[in-house]
Amino acid sequence: MPDAWRPGRLHSAPPVYHVLLTNRYLTSRVIPLIAVAAVAMCVALVIIVVSVMTGFLDMVKASGRTLVGDVIVSYPMTGIPYYERLIDRIASLGEVAAATPVVESLGLLKMPYPAGERKQTETVQVWGIDPVTLGRVTGYDETLYWRPPAGGEIFSEDDFRSALEAELGPDALTTLYERGSALEAADGSDRAIVLGMHVSIGNERQRDGTYRPVFGPLGYWFMPRYEVGLTVVPVGSSGGLLDPVTRGFQVVNEFVSGVFLIDDKRVMIPLAQAQDMLRLVPSTILDDDDEDSGFVDPARVTMVLARAVDGVPPDALRDRIATAYNAFREELLLDPTVHPSVVPPPIGAGLQVQTWRQQQRQFIDPVEKERELMRVLFSIIYLVCAGLVLSIFWAIVYEKTRDIGILRSVGASRLGISAIFLRYGAIIGAVGAVIGLGLAYLVVRNINGIHQAIGEPAPVWSWVGAFALAAGAVGMLVWRSFSGFLLPVVLWAIAAVACVGLGIGLLLHRGTLIWDPSVYYFSEIPNHLDPVTAVTTMLGAVVFSVLGAFVPAMKAADTDPVRALRYE
Amino acid sequence: MNEPGLDVREATPDAARTTQSRLAARDVVKSYRLGRVTVPVLKGAALDVAEGEWVAVLGSSGSGKSTLLHLLGDLDQADAGEIRFDDRPLAAMSRRERDRYRNRSIGFVFQFYHLLPELNVVENTYLPALVGMSRLAFYTQRRALRTRARDLLAGFGLDHRLDHRPRELSGGERQRVAIARALINRPAVLLADEPTGNLDEQTGGEILDLLSAQHAEGLTIVMVTHDVGIAARADRVVELHDGAVQTGGGQSFTR
Repeated sequence: MPDAWRPGRLHSAPPVYHVLLTNRYLTSRVIPLIAVAAVAMCVALVIIVVSVMTGFLDMVKASGRTLVGDVIVSYPMTGIPYYERLIDRIASLGEVAAATPVVESLGLLKMPYPAGERKQTETVQVWGIDPVTLGRVTGYDETLYWRPPAGGEIFSEDDFRSALEAELGPDALTTLYERGSALEAADGSDRAIVLGMHVSIGNERQRDGTYRPVFGPLGYWFMPRYEVGLTVVPVGSSGGLLDPVTRGFQVVNEFVSGVFLIDDKRVMIPLAQAQDMLRLVPSTILDDDDEDSGFVDPARVTMVLARAVDGVPPDALRDRIATAYNAFREELLLDPTVHPSVVPPPIGAGLQVQTWRQQQRQFIDPVEKERELMRVLFSIIYLVCAGLVLSIFWAIVYEKTRDIGILRSVGASRLGISAIFLRYGAIIGAVGAVIGLGLAYLVVRNINGIHQAIGEPAPVWSWVGAFALAAGAVGMLVWRSFSGFLLPVVLWAIAAVACVGLGIGLLLHRGTLIWDPSVYYFSEIPNHLDPVTAVTTMLGAVVFSVLGAFVPAMKAADTDPVRALRYE
Repeated sequence: MNEPGLDVREATPDAARTTQSRLAARDVVKSYRLGRVTVPVLKGAALDVAEGEWVAVLGSSGSGKSTLLHLLGDLDQADAGEIRFDDRPLAAMSRRERDRYRNRSIGFVFQFYHLLPELNVVENTYLPALVGMSRLAFYTQRRALRTRARDLLAGFGLDHRLDHRPRELSGGERQRVAIARALINRPAVLLADEPTGNLDEQTGGEILDLLSAQHAEGLTIVMVTHDVGIAARADRVVELHDGAVQTGGGQSFTR
């Protein structure tokens, strides 16, 4: 029935030819694959960088609570007198979950190493703490590293904790943890000290984030077996320096806060020890004749840390605590048992009530600046990616200008033609975005492993493999050179050179530490995929793909068919 | 009625043709801009094509013959004058009507075939039928549509080439596919722009035979060529010279 089909009514409904053409354009050429790869790479790049940056900032924000709580009342050197009364007032506020006193000072720590007479000395930041209340404010005991495995957890073989367990029995870790969380020495005294993980030279971070002592020719330095000497310089009431005080402490545990600056410098000792060494203990106030005036200069602390109830913003809490402090000061002024010289100054005159952000400005400011810098760089990267996608599609569609002329000459409407490229751009954009997301997920989840791998010499198989590929490419090059065609020869030559270059690069690679914790504050790279970034980036990829295909297609469809046909 | 090779190119009185004219060009002016220079191509060209007629437009290269054909096929716009189809000026039509005109009323055959490289022979052939066809219509009619395309191609001796891509075909085969494509929607007029211009003499002759056969079945054809011998296959030859149609032109080129 040769004449069964006859042209029917002209439909305005979505015509069918664009489906046919889009599918053919997508499946019969290499260039859509290149476009998909380009979109995927751009999407992956943006998601990876933004996710890491966002994770980094989240870590900065979260670290505040684990380091100092939300709000800090600080009066360095002199210290806050009658701090128990202040803490009672603060703790009674509805917005406050917990509050704790801290004595902060600088100190010198005489280490047990190296072997021999001359020992190494480290400068440290000394925190005199009450472990119980500090635990409520900052989660202190959760940061202690030497501890028994939590319910069901089994340490990996590489983990030194499993070696400790095997050698000393599971009780060894329990003992260390108990002593650390109570800051109590083996003999029950309070001459106990907990070090940040990087304070000593003894520990080395492993690929999986665990620590183990560094083993050297003279054995290893597992700190919780040693005593250290701590020296601090107390400051007199007139502001002058008094004689340095040195005491021996037993290392009972080590902590990992995750912030390198802290883990590298801070040591924790019991509050009473710190007060005693720094002369912040109660004393009698003498009158002008050096007689007992009947007044007492009470014990002091240099900081009071408070943690907000969940949902209370730190700024609101700071205002409440400032009010509480003013009331506390009023009370002292009116109290006849309090000597006027003891009353601490109003807020601002050396005494600060700050959120952790304000207090840790020198730590946070550079990070915020880095973030702003990243935002600027990021806008540029985003634009470059968008431009790349746009130009790839522009090129693809321009190559198809003649096809558009043909379609116009057989009566295809301009809208119908746009539909082809709309579909084309949308499909490539969507496929590229999904592949890019997958790629980004793989990289971000494994970023610490990748970083570790980069930080080590390349394994033998990698460069041997690269050279083997190069040899294969050379073989193909020789074989194809008989074909008489130039392109395959050039392509195989490029492949061979690239493989040789890769092989040499891998062979010479001796490991580069990119994420140096002393530069980036954190000992681990954030590996959390930011969902908002992922979704917006994927949408952006589709939009730019569609725009990139749509704009030149409309332009081509708008020109007279004969001009489009002449386009070769 | 008109046997190929028969000399029937007597000038028909103009008035007699106007009334039954299928496609006409009236005082068409067209010029191109080349940088700052404006090059006039057509300076008031006129042409009338009657139903069932095979007209050859003869002209040297650059005479504007292709431009005239593009204007007739609504692939380009005239600067002045008008193109009329069934006595209706194209300029008065809406965009949709003109899309429809290109799709249904005319079939265009180009010198360089202009097949879509990604589509196979059958798909290239029924492409104009797909234009304006909804998805539903396609799924209900595709068998009939493919049959029509195959029959056309088989008639042109291409039944063994149906699943090939254009690049796998010879020039003559490509041009036959292009003609099949132009005919798929049963157009009123076939416009052929140097259809044999890219082919050797024997292949070109076969293409002309094919056009001849279609003409014998009643197809109206307008063909432009620079070759007197090829023009001789038509019913009537008009000569385009210096941007205008020479009345009675072509007589001197009769074999």
